[in-house]
Amino acid sequence: METRLIKKDALAGIVKKMAVDVRVYAPVKEGDNVFFTFLAQGDEPLTRFANTKNAPKNLFFPHTEKMMRYTRTARGVEFTGVRSEAKEAVLFGARPCDARSFTLLDMLFDQEKCQDLFYIEKRAKTTVIALNCVHPPYATCFCTSVGGNPFSTEGVDVAITEMNGEYLIEFLTPKGEELLKYFGEAKADEKTAAAKQAAAQKAAGEITSTIPATAIKPILDVNFEHPFWNTIHERCLACGTCTFLCPTCHCFDISDEMRGADGVRLRNWDSCMFPMFTKETSGHNPRPSQKERWRQRVMHKFKYYVDNFGAIACVGCGRCVMSCSVNIDIRKIVEDIAKL
Amino acid sequence: MQNPYIPIPVEIIKIVTEVETKDIKTFRFAFLNKEDEERFVYLPGQFGELSIFGKGESPIGIASSPTQKGYIEFTVQKAGVVTSALHDMEVGTRMGVRGPLGNSWPIEYLAGKNIVVVGGGFAFTTLRSLINYMLDEQNRPRFGDITVVYGARSPGLLIYKDELAEWQKRSDINLNVTVDKGDAFWKGMEGFVPAICKQVAPSCESAVTVICGPPVMIRFTLPVFFELGFSKENIITSLEMRMKCGIGKCGRCNVGSKYVCKDGPVFSLADLDKLTREY
Repeated sequence: METRLIKKDALAGIVKKMAVDVRVYAPVKEGDNVFFTFLAQGDEPLTRFANTKNAPKNLFFPHTEKMMRYTRTARGVEFTGVRSEAKEAVLFGARPCDARSFTLLDMLFDQEKCQDLFYIEKRAKTTVIALNCVHPPYATCFCTSVGGNPFSTEGVDVAITEMNGEYLIEFLTPKGEELLKYFGEAKADEKTAAAKQAAAQKAAGEITSTIPATAIKPILDVNFEHPFWNTIHERCLACGTCTFLCPTCHCFDISDEMRGADGVRLRNWDSCMFPMFTKETSGHNPRPSQKERWRQRVMHKFKYYVDNFGAIACVGCGRCVMSCSVNIDIRKIVEDIAKL
Repeated sequence: MQNPYIPIPVEIIKIVTEVETKDIKTFRFAFLNKEDEERFVYLPGQFGELSIFGKGESPIGIASSPTQKGYIEFTVQKAGVVTSALHDMEVGTRMGVRGPLGNSWPIEYLAGKNIVVVGGGFAFTTLRSLINYMLDEQNRPRFGDITVVYGARSPGLLIYKDELAEWQKRSDINLNVTVDKGDAFWKGMEGFVPAICKQVAPSCESAVTVICGPPVMIRFTLPVFFELGFSKENIITSLEMRMKCGIGKCGRCNVGSKYVCKDGPVFSLADLDKLTREY
C-alpha cells in the first residue's frame, strides 16, 4: 500500500488543487452547518469539522435526478434520451461511517440482477477520500455497534488520519492511487503505521454510545405484532428528516414533469415516514398510520436488510438522533426492543 | 448494459372495451423494435410497468400469453392518473412498457397437475394469460384437468367475453362462469364465486388452485378449498402493492423482507404465512 505524510496545513490546498482537475464534493461551512457541496474554483474545503449535516449519498443518489427526457410527437410522447450525469469526481472528507454507507447502498443498487445504472455509474467514477475520526465527533456516534469503527476502510479509496501535526495518507485502492500525484513524495514509515493502529484503537474506545443492534434481529423476527410498536410513533411529525439525512436510506419516488412539448422523468428521494408512500390508487394503504411506518423503518434497517443482504442498514452516524425535532432516538428504540 | 428504468417503446394496435361500464379496456401493444420483442420473454403472472411519459407509470399484470406472438396485452381499469390517460388513448399511439417484471405463476410446479383457476371480477387478467398458456396446443399435454371458476357482479362486468365463449366450446377445459346476479338475457350460473367453487368441488388430488380476485372473494373462497383438502402450498395467489421502480429498489412494496415487485407478485398461501400481514 502506498502511503504519504503531509503537513497539516497543506491538506486544504491539495484538495483545492484537485478541484482544478476534477469535480470535488467536499465539506463547506454554510451558516451554522457544514454541508457537502461541489467546490467552486478557488473554494477551500473544511478539513477540521465534526461531521456534515447532510450525508454524502447525494453524490451517487441525488435528492432529485433527471432520469430521462421525452418530447411530444404526433404519435404520442416519445423518449428522446437518458440524462447521464456521471462525471469523474472526488468525494473528500467523508467520515468512515458515511463511506461505509456506500458499501451498504451498493448491495441494493448494484445487485447482480437489476442494476441501477444511475447510481452505479456515478459511484464507479468517484474516488472516496475519508477523514478518519481520531476523536469521534459526537456523543451520538455509535458506529461500533453497527459493524463500523472510527477508522473503518469500507468504501474508502484514500484514508486520511490526523497524527501529531501531520496527516497520514493511505492509498487503499487502485482508484485511490491515481490521486498519489497530489500528495508529494514523503512516505510514511513503520512507526507511523504503528501509531495509527494505536490511534484507531483509542478512537474506537472513545465511542461511548453502544446499542445491541445485532442482538435485536431475532427479536424483530418474531415481534411484528408486539404492542411495543404502539409506543414510539405518537410524537412523530412524519417530517422525514431522519430518512433524508440518513446515509443509507434509499427509498425514492419516480415522477414526470412536462413543460410545453418537452418533459423529464425524475427520481426524487421519498420517505417511508410519509403517509402517501404506500397509499394505493384505490385508497387502501397497507401502512395506514405512523405506527406501521415506524415499524417499517426499524424493521427495514435492523431486520429486512439483514435478511436480504446480511448487513444492518445503519452506519451509526447519529444524524437522525441529532436532527429529529421531537427527539425520537433510534438508539433508545433499539435498546427497548432488546428488552422485549 | 440495459438500463432497467428506460421503457421499451410500443404502439397500441388494438383496444377492446371489456365491460359495459367502459372503465376496463384491454390494450394490445406491438413492439416498435424487433429486438425488444425478442428480449421480452415472459411467463403468465408477470407484470409490466405501463409507462406514459408526462404522466407516470403503472404496474399492470400481463394479460396475454407468451404463446401469443407478436404482441402483449394488458387489461387496465381506469383509476388513477396513468390509467386514465391510457384510457383516453387511441390505436396508433406510442408509449412505453417496462418489463417483464416479477416472478410468474409457477409453471414448472403446475406442470403435470390438475389446475383449478379461480378468478373474480377484473382480477382475471394474469389468470387469462395462464389459461391461454395452458390451452396452447403444445402446452396442453403438460397439464392435467383444467377447471375454471370465474365470476363477476353482473354479466356486463365479465371480461374477455369472446374468449369465454370459445373456451366454453372446448372439451379440455371445465369452465364455470358465474355472476352475482344475472339479467334478462343471462343463461349461465348465478351465485358468488365461493358457492360455485363448493358446487364444482374440484378434487385436491394432485391439484393446485390459482386464485385471484377481490379480498372479500378470496376470504370466503379459501375456506372452501381448505375443506376440499387443498394444502396451503397448493393455493397460489398474486399480491398488489403500490410500486414505482418494479425492481426492488425504491423501497415501498415490501411485505416483510420480500418485495412484491421482485420476489412476487405470485406467492403461495404457505409463502404468505411466513410473511407479515402488511398488504
